[in-house]
Amino acid sequence: MNAATPARDWNDLGDEDFRRAAADFFGTHVPPHLRFLSRRPRWAEVRDWYLTMSRHGWLVPAWPVEHGGMGLSQSKVLIYMEELERSGAPRVMDQGLMNLGPVLIARGTPEQRARFLPAILAGEHTWCQGYSEPNAGSDLASLRTEARIEGDQFVINGQKIWTSVAFDATHMFALVRTDKTVKKQAGISFVMIDLRQPGVTVRPIRNIAGHDELCEVFLDDVRTPLANLVGELNGGWQVAKTLLGFERIWSGSPRQSTLALLRLQKLAQASGKMDDPVFRDRCTQITLDVLDAASAYERFAQIMRTGGSFGFEVSMLKIWATETCQRVTELMVEAAGDLGGLSGDVDVAGESMDILYPFLDCRAFTIYGGSSQVQRNILVKNVLDLPSRGTA
Amino acid sequence: MTPDLQALDMLRDSAADVVARSADLRRLRARRGTLPGFDPAPWQQMVDLGWSGILVPEAQGGLGLGLTEMATVLQQLGRGLMADPLPAVALATRVLSHAAGWPGAADRLAMVTQGRNLPVVAWQEGLGGIDAAAIATQALPDGKGWRLSGSKRFVAGAAAAAGFIVSARCGNGAALFWVDADAPGLQLDHEWRADQTPCGLFALDGVHVDPDQCIGQDLAPLQRALDEAAVLASAEMLGVMEAALQMALAYLRTRVQFGQPIGSFQALQHKAADLYVQQELLRAVLQDALRTFDGGADRAAQALVASRCKARASDAGLRVTREVIQLHGAIGYTDEHDAGLYLKRALVLSAWLGNASAHRARFAALQDEAAAV
Repeated sequence: MNAATPARDWNDLGDEDFRRAAADFFGTHVPPHLRFLSRRPRWAEVRDWYLTMSRHGWLVPAWPVEHGGMGLSQSKVLIYMEELERSGAPRVMDQGLMNLGPVLIARGTPEQRARFLPAILAGEHTWCQGYSEPNAGSDLASLRTEARIEGDQFVINGQKIWTSVAFDATHMFALVRTDKTVKKQAGISFVMIDLRQPGVTVRPIRNIAGHDELCEVFLDDVRTPLANLVGELNGGWQVAKTLLGFERIWSGSPRQSTLALLRLQKLAQASGKMDDPVFRDRCTQITLDVLDAASAYERFAQIMRTGGSFGFEVSMLKIWATETCQRVTELMVEAAGDLGGLSGDVDVAGESMDILYPFLDCRAFTIYGGSSQVQRNILVKNVLDLPSRGTA
Repeated sequence: MTPDLQALDMLRDSAADVVARSADLRRLRARRGTLPGFDPAPWQQMVDLGWSGILVPEAQGGLGLGLTEMATVLQQLGRGLMADPLPAVALATRVLSHAAGWPGAADRLAMVTQGRNLPVVAWQEGLGGIDAAAIATQALPDGKGWRLSGSKRFVAGAAAAAGFIVSARCGNGAALFWVDADAPGLQLDHEWRADQTPCGLFALDGVHVDPDQCIGQDLAPLQRALDEAAVLASAEMLGVMEAALQMALAYLRTRVQFGQPIGSFQALQHKAADLYVQQELLRAVLQDALRTFDGGADRAAQALVASRCKARASDAGLRVTREVIQLHGAIGYTDEHDAGLYLKRALVLSAWLGNASAHRARFAALQDEAAAV
């Protein structure tokens, strides 16, 4: 563990005091050349920054203190994220921090936690998430990548796709089929795989913004010890759902729309667009949409904080947060006028900014993690109690 | 003030119970276009339950509770389209509470608790708008006090009121005065709101007020109360939306076309999901607003969140009740169907105390002010 900074209870601070502490930390430590990048940087570029956060105990806001996290309450996690983004800090390899860590803390064995959590904090292990497959997108449970048991190992064969930054990952946590004879959700296991072995092929997929962030990952007779199974054999769907429990609220957080709004405001100020009353009203409207997204997020976060539970109604968060984010970027392109037709960094009254990147980048938000349409189906079926076809 | 959650649940249940027993849309239809615009029997019941005094301090016989409690009641009453005259009375109650230096406030507040001699606020003129200071009514000294001349409009609850809190230009500033409904020189007329309930339209022709009828020499108590009432109107709007959406969902489950319940069609399902998102957004903003007010945040934060809340309520309320018509098809377009009643109440609530555009513009102006400091 990184014990350079003694653990303290950040939750003792009031929200505004904590905000100042976070702003101060990020303001001081985020390397200037990495701020406000209009692309996701490679691990080699951000590794030092990652280790700096780790050394100061600022790497993982949400993990409990005993595991090397800051142990922040949800509201302070949100403040942390806001200040992180306000500082323009680059995105790091965060699957281990955001997803695997919480899963191991909730469902892992003490050995798994002891082995993997410190390696994440030390930047020795970088993780990617192996869920989607070419024929298992919105219908994730139909995945076919197979793991058979040989002695004390799994032998894995199949293909994962839409795997973010797999080329920089040392490890993958994946859902694999371990029983083909049962209902599709009941034959899936959650395993951790070391990618540094023969049989692993990673091929980048260029996205619409021109970046190679997503990958295909081919697994041919790839091996992992049985000890790297998380949860029960064939219990992977349940494990993934614990993770989704966290992701369902996180994917609906207002952080991306808040960041997009900051960019829009910067553009509007630089270009003098704020003097146009029509634009100003639209800008206010979208500002309120973002703030209301934050209120909705806070409502669920508060339920979570006070130990309550919520059901499928949380799907409204992701729908609103991601679609609002897209509308912000659409307004930004429009506000840019002719500059909205130029690619890459452009000069706006002395400010250099990439107008199109946020617009293109956030097309993905309403697709991944349960598309907007899947989220609506979830609400329709589980909350609004509307009939399915053929029930007349 | 932190609301007592258990007491809040009881209050909600009690209000839901009153709505279940007393909401009567047939009588509501029969009452359209008549004075005073609400049903006296359920109103008396609400007074007996203490609801008119929720915001009245305990010293004046009230319950001394916060906006959260009043919002809880109004949300339920909104579901039954039976909130009037509570929202208008709540606005006046808050003005009187904030003008605590006025010796007449205590008696007026005590009467609110008893549900008689109700006060309401006459603050708008001309084409309306949410700037409380945009008024032309004049208070001119007449030696024994003042004489008020001008006009007032959009006075919710006027038909049942015993007196009015009237804003007027006074010297270099503006002031609030108490004017009895039967004061000589006050001519009271009514206009009909979208739901065919009345709102007052007055002419003030040299109405005399004594010095002890001057509530305060500035509009701050009014401005603060308007923000609070905007949040309360949003709570009522949430109830209206909930009832309308619930009605539409029931229809989608049972109405059969092409051999299927129409609620099984994804185009309608996703429309319903979007309306649900709007309803839940308002619920979230409302909760934020109530916490901001009852938590004692500063005025600037209160004003911002009130405008944000009312902008969402006005927008979302109209959208949901409008789309509920579409979800019902032709029957929703008839006067006979209840969908229209919800839409019309939403039209009233959307416009009252400032619609979405007005509050968005105010929000932007308040933000600029905050940034300039």
